[in-house]
Amino acid sequence: MRVLLVDDEVDLASALAERLDLRGIEADWVTTAEAALEKASAVKYDLAVLDVKMPKVGGLELRERLRRLYPQMKFIFLTGYGSEIEFKKASCQEGESCYLVKPADIGDLIQRMKDLLAHGDGGGDQ
Amino acid sequence: MIAATEAAGWAGMQFFGRTTASVSHELKNALAIIKENAGLLNDYLLMMDKGMPLEPDRLRLVTGRIDQQTQRADDLIRHLNRFGHSVDEKFTSVDLNEVLALLAALSSREVSMQQATLNTEVEASPVMVKTTPFWLLTLLGHCLSFALQVMGPSKDLVVRVTKTEDGGLIRFEQLEKMRQHPFPGESESALFEVLGATYRTEPEKKCMEIKLSNC
Repeated sequence: MRVLLVDDEVDLASALAERLDLRGIEADWVTTAEAALEKASAVKYDLAVLDVKMPKVGGLELRERLRRLYPQMKFIFLTGYGSEIEFKKASCQEGESCYLVKPADIGDLIQRMKDLLAHGDGGGDQ
Repeated sequence: MIAATEAAGWAGMQFFGRTTASVSHELKNALAIIKENAGLLNDYLLMMDKGMPLEPDRLRLVTGRIDQQTQRADDLIRHLNRFGHSVDEKFTSVDLNEVLALLAALSSREVSMQQATLNTEVEASPVMVKTTPFWLLTLLGHCLSFALQVMGPSKDLVVRVTKTEDGGLIRFEQLEKMRQHPFPGESESALFEVLGATYRTEPEKKCMEIKLSNC
């Protein structure tokens, strides 16, 4: 599994990437949507973990851009949103479980990644 | 005046909601970083248990991050607490230097999401005015949002506090596009009225001033 982490909080993205690496998941990290698009053009990722609120281009818009370019890619959002229900309405299709609320548990995140890649019930095209 | 009070009250609630949502979002980020880095320390310990060597520099880096983010969270809560206490007294003396510092702290996320830089310049001595602190913060918060809308491509904003004979001035500078956006709106007009504050816009100088008087 190869994963791209996108979060404007450097110390979150880098620590999470290292923890995933230690668990055998190849993870790269970037802090902007522009850097994510550049990285994804060079490396084939199975899945992207996206922060929702980032300067300039947010996670929802980034997902749409990545989806158009890489239809097979799956997505999980990490959100600090208090209003989880509102966010879910805006970002997830019915029946999807496409987001985790910060601070998230790494075990939950990995399980969600595995589920998405096994069943495809996530933010990417089916 | 009743209509202005109602409009100001609603503007105040909106500012309160926006501020607490923004600060709590920041707090969530700080907590997420602490959790992930504490988890990383635990991972290192498990590796050590398995006989793998651990570099002290790695430990220092991770504990440094935890320390930094704990400080960040503490600052956020301290500012939020001060904001909460702004409704303790309906009419009291405040130092505009401190009000501006609090506004800058509470708005740091709004500013950074716009990739802007907010430079505050204050007087060396306190600039005391008698006012309603919560409404003053609300008005300045609205003015800052307006300033972020009309700032120039350099995205540098300057907000300056100046002492006057009978109170103080707060001046927003480098508002390059202020001719393109109407100011004040309904909320700001109501806040000016309930605060007894006046304003002056100078599009040619790309600035606006808010005047608060003790008279």
